[in-house]
Amino acid sequence: MSDELELLRAANPVPAGEGPWRDRPLDATAERGLNRLLHGTRTRRARRRLVLRAEAAVLALVGVLAFTLSDAGSSPAVAAPAALVPHAGTAPVSLAELARRAQATARTAGPGDGPRRGSHLQSWYLSMQTGPDAASPVTVPEERITRWNADGSGSELVVATDPRHPGRPVIHDDNGRWTTVGDGEVLHRKTYPPGSGDGHRGLAARTKPPTDPAALRALLASLYGSGDTEHTASTTPQLLLALSSFRQEWTPGPRETAAIVRMLADTGGLRPAGAVTDRLGRRGQAYVHDGPDGGMNATRQMVILDPRTGQLLGTEITFTKDLPDFRITAGEVLSYEAWMP
Amino acid sequence: MSTDDAFAEAYRAHYWAVSRFVARRLDAPAHEVEEVVAEVFSIAWRRRTELPDTPLPWLYGVARNCLANTVRGLGRYRRLLHRLGNHEAAHGRQTVDSPDTERPGSWVHEALARLSAADQEVLRLTTWEELTVEELAVALGCGRSAAAMRLHRARRRLRAEIDRTRTTVSVRAGGDAHE
Repeated sequence: MSDELELLRAANPVPAGEGPWRDRPLDATAERGLNRLLHGTRTRRARRRLVLRAEAAVLALVGVLAFTLSDAGSSPAVAAPAALVPHAGTAPVSLAELARRAQATARTAGPGDGPRRGSHLQSWYLSMQTGPDAASPVTVPEERITRWNADGSGSELVVATDPRHPGRPVIHDDNGRWTTVGDGEVLHRKTYPPGSGDGHRGLAARTKPPTDPAALRALLASLYGSGDTEHTASTTPQLLLALSSFRQEWTPGPRETAAIVRMLADTGGLRPAGAVTDRLGRRGQAYVHDGPDGGMNATRQMVILDPRTGQLLGTEITFTKDLPDFRITAGEVLSYEAWMP
Repeated sequence: MSTDDAFAEAYRAHYWAVSRFVARRLDAPAHEVEEVVAEVFSIAWRRRTELPDTPLPWLYGVARNCLANTVRGLGRYRRLLHRLGNHEAAHGRQTVDSPDTERPGSWVHEALARLSAADQEVLRLTTWEELTVEELAVALGCGRSAAAMRLHRARRRLRAEIDRTRTTVSVRAGGDAHE
């Protein structure tokens, strides 16, 4: 007869190697949480109030809001980016049309154009530095590059971007050797030797992104949704959030990109808003969701796609309402992410 | 290494372990688990000067207190579910159905759920979080010998419940529960 501890061990309902809580590098939500702690302080009571309100809310959005609201007494961030504005007079491209273009690009893709594990992004999240050491709350965008190789080796590098050169990538991949430009401060750098990838190979990493839109959506719901797919994972803000987390794990190839654009087209929750120039100076098409966000209904979600290939260039969340108690004005940016190949 | 660096390192190393700790104990959807985990690290951040060299058991200790507050804040129904330790409701949620959806461990969970909350926690920490007796003491905030004694007693009581459950289940299911 088995030892009772062995029996209990075997009945572990949340094992370390699989499921949404498996071991792996931090996802976007977790990174945001760490960033908030390292660069700001919170009051527990305000947070608790929000937790109670957040029963059915979009998770990361609420996480960010929780931080924002709890710092109501502090000054607004001085380095907040301006929201992207679609160019006037440009003809919007429908998502259905862009899905066709992405599909056409995918058809010409070769076997080597597959998805790649790892990602490269520049991001900014509303954040405020408070406390005795912070005279002036400043938020600096950060750039993050993560790579995993077939032999299980990998590396992560996180750099605070040089504020004197906004919108410029600060990490350059020089034939596999990363160099940072300017005086971008290295926030985190780690190299994993061959074989160590196993410890970071969670379900998201092991699952090659599907090229079928429905399968992709199901995967996103199972990996990042709350499980209550009927009510939460199916909302556009939740889907965009899941897409953001997914994109941090994988850099999609043309076939996966086609699936992403088709999936977004099929949601029906995004309207074309015209051409924009993103924060890295790239021309993209903006698609906007300004319906319920599952939280305070005070935000607008934007996703930016390459008008030729459908490639996911970035996301942006902005406030649509004044929140005077918290010194937030409609139109201010809550977060942005700009993805690089 | 500065205190902040040590905290950041502990956060990166143990974020998912703390998430699992919470997910194992809170019958709630993923975003609520994340909220509690954020709270755990928020409290840990305020107490970061206390962070020991081996931070995980200490983080579990913070998480235990945090979870207790959270559970107290949930409604009566939730508390009841939590007390029943209904892992089916909590953990059937994320996974796609697969051939092993039938959870062979559920009768072990039933046996566990009949123990006192304190016994359950000692056993969970030892098996699911895989803590040693020394680490258990840190997580429980007691001495090593007290932790060893609590584990010893909890094991004995679990053994008795398992035997009882297996007998019942095997009679009910024609002996299928036996390995």
